[in-house]
This record gives sequence, C-alpha cells and structure tokens, in this order.
Amino acid sequence: MPERPRNPIDMLLVEEQPLLRKTVSMTARSLGMGKVHEAATAEAAEKLLRERSFQGAVISLECGAFGGAAHNFTLLDRVRGGMSASRATIPIAVMVDHPTAALLQELRSRDINRVIVKPFRAKVLLDTFASFG
Amino acid sequence: MLAAPIPANDKERLAALRALLILDTPPEERYDRIVRFAAEEFGVPIALLSVIDENRQWFKARVGLDVCETQRDISFCGHAIVQPDIFVIEDARQDPRFADNPIVTGDPRVIFYVGAPLLEPSGHAIGTLCLIDHEPRTLDATELAILASLRDLLQEELSGGNEHA
Repeated sequence: MPERPRNPIDMLLVEEQPLLRKTVSMTARSLGMGKVHEAATAEAAEKLLRERSFQGAVISLECGAFGGAAHNFTLLDRVRGGMSASRATIPIAVMVDHPTAALLQELRSRDINRVIVKPFRAKVLLDTFASFG
Repeated sequence: MLAAPIPANDKERLAALRALLILDTPPEERYDRIVRFAAEEFGVPIALLSVIDENRQWFKARVGLDVCETQRDISFCGHAIVQPDIFVIEDARQDPRFADNPIVTGDPRVIFYVGAPLLEPSGHAIGTLCLIDHEPRTLDATELAILASLRDLLQEELSGGNEHA
C-alpha cells in the first residue's frame, strides 16, 4: 500500500481516459489519501489550476497536444512559471507514450519529478500521488 | 473439494438477480470495458463479471475465457458471494477447499483467484468481479482498493447509474 500522506491532500490528474481517472480518484478517496481532482482536457485542467491550489499533479502530455505536436507543455509551464494557484515547486509527474531523449531534456528543464510510461496503471498513479504527500 | 455453499436467502437472491434482467443477455460495452480494464490493470489472463444463477455461474463480461458459463458447485465465485468482503485465494493448490477442484486441476487452471462481490441495489450479492491467474499471486491494500473501485463502477452500471464510467 502506498504510504498515506500525513494529511489528505488535493491532487490534480489530467488524463483523457475516463475509466483510469475515475478508478484513481475513487481509490484515492477510499484509501484516505486525499482528493484527486479530474481533468479530461487541458482546458479543464487550466481552469482547475487557476481556481484551486494543488499539492501535486500527474499530467498526460498527450492531453491537449495540437498542431502536430506530440506533447503539450502548457500546463507544466503554467505551474512552473507561477501562473497557477499552486506553488510553482509542487511535485509533478507526467504520463508519456514514448519517452525520447529530447523529451526527457524538456522535462528535466521543467523540474519534473517522475515520468510514467505506458501502460498507464491506476496503481502506479496512486503510488505516485502517495509519494507527493 | 468444498462445493460452493448455498446461502440461506438464495431464493430471494435469485429473485433479485432475475429482476435485473441481465441473465443470458448479449455482451455490453459498459461492462466489457471495466472488465478489460481490470485485466490490464492487474495483468491477469482472465477477468470476469460473473453472476451466480441457481445451478450455474454465467459470465456477463469475460476476458480470456471461451466458455460463457460453468457449474455453480465448482465455482470460486459461488464462495465469494457469501463473503462479507473481497475473497482472495492466493494459491488454490494449497487450499483444501479448492486443491482438487476440476477447474484448478484442469482448464482453466485457476491458481490465483480474487472475487469482489457485486451487490444489487437491495443488497443481495448476485455475482462478482473476479480475476484469475495461472500462477500464485498476492495483492496489496492498494490493489484490493482498486478492485473494489472497479466493482463499485460495475455496481453503478448494474443499478442503471453512470453511463460514462
């Protein structure tokens, strides 16, 4: 079982798959880890980031990628740039299909704490959130 | 082998199951996707939405199993529905209740089994979300909680709830 955070915390999960999002948020609640706020789109995540302070986030980089880009760094840049209601230094994990050296360099420059590679499993996301506590 | 027990309230339980109008109906994506997700999440070869009828268990959704029903008396799910919580058999070969069960000694070689009872709206356990592996396994508290969440999502569907789970 992931080590339970000392205090239940608010966390953000940005992921397109509804069943994965829902399973993670329901299980986090049942384990007393805290509240996982779900966003299915980058737009929904931006709204949540403006309105609420989070103690950690797991973000799918494929979510909201457009114009031929494989990854969307907008949410990472908003948080790290201090343009959200959360501390700029909150722990962030990203979900990616295929990590490349260039991508990992981009993530290092944004102080990303963890990279989660497919297949995306609820247990891995829950363990990641637990580590944010 | 210990045959699956028949609960004292089985008549009422069966009436509740039949009132759901789910027995012998075609596969439905809303159930299939949750069972598929469970199989992938846990990395097991077999995952089932099993319902326990009077003399058989019948599978509303199934991954990794070709048959659509088996006898109730040899079913693990028949044991699971009388448990208050998730029923885990880490190695059926080491459990005297199951070691000589034909579905352990022969196909589909149930070695590891975990079943989360599915309650219909009035509280009767009508079946399970279950996972099967051909190797012994253990589940930690997080994995058991994930299975319970998936079971809860199936229960929402059974009660006509969430259409977008």
